[in-house]
Amino acid sequence: MSEPAAFRDDLVKTIPSLRAFAISLAQNNDRADDLVQETLVKAWDKQSSFQLGTNLKAWLFTILRNEFYSQMRKRGREVQDSDGLLTASVAIHPGQQGSVDLKDFRKALETLPEDQREAIILIGASGFSYEEAAEICGCAVGTIKSRVSRARSRLQDILGIEGDGDFGPDAISAQVLGSTAA
Amino acid sequence: MTGMKPAAGHDPAKGARKPDGLGPNSEIGRKLKQYYDELVSDDVPDRIMDLLNRLETSETSVPGTPKGGR
Repeated sequence: MSEPAAFRDDLVKTIPSLRAFAISLAQNNDRADDLVQETLVKAWDKQSSFQLGTNLKAWLFTILRNEFYSQMRKRGREVQDSDGLLTASVAIHPGQQGSVDLKDFRKALETLPEDQREAIILIGASGFSYEEAAEICGCAVGTIKSRVSRARSRLQDILGIEGDGDFGPDAISAQVLGSTAA
Repeated sequence: MTGMKPAAGHDPAKGARKPDGLGPNSEIGRKLKQYYDELVSDDVPDRIMDLLNRLETSETSVPGTPKGGR
């Protein structure tokens, strides 16, 4: 397979996840699709600077994220700052049996500031490591960790989920993770 | 801004492991996945695939065409 064809194939494979990330950021499907399109055009133009075999997904996410924030700045929209939002305005009733309704979850996610939302999505859903997420967001690994942790507590608060959020028995997760819980 | 916590005693190997209450045992972790997977499984809109085809065609038929910069 020629290189451009391989590049195209990899692009195509990444689009669904790239688009999911765009929707989580923009919270609007049309805008998200615009972002994906602009990302693809940029990626296509810059493909010679991309090395096959390196992390195409992270590269594309980085382009899309930069595009998103530069559009926001152009629109004169302030990037949300982490503590500027009132969680109290979202009334969400915890679901029965401790299981949260997906619709409620989505609503809660929307109330997060962008920096926290993108961090928790990259780590908890897109499958990136902290190191990759830090690279995508152009910040330190510790910053990503603290954003994820703030995002998580905020979601737990809004959704009325208890403390650690881990319902599973600690012994089992400890075994799975191979950690040495005393 | 919150102060930095000293990183003392932090195990670097932890970085690789999945994270802070977002694992499969956590409600937030499961919902995040569910939310995202639903978006991932959406059909990719035609306009995106059309764009990709156009990019590819313009590339192969007219190599080196300068892109209208903006």
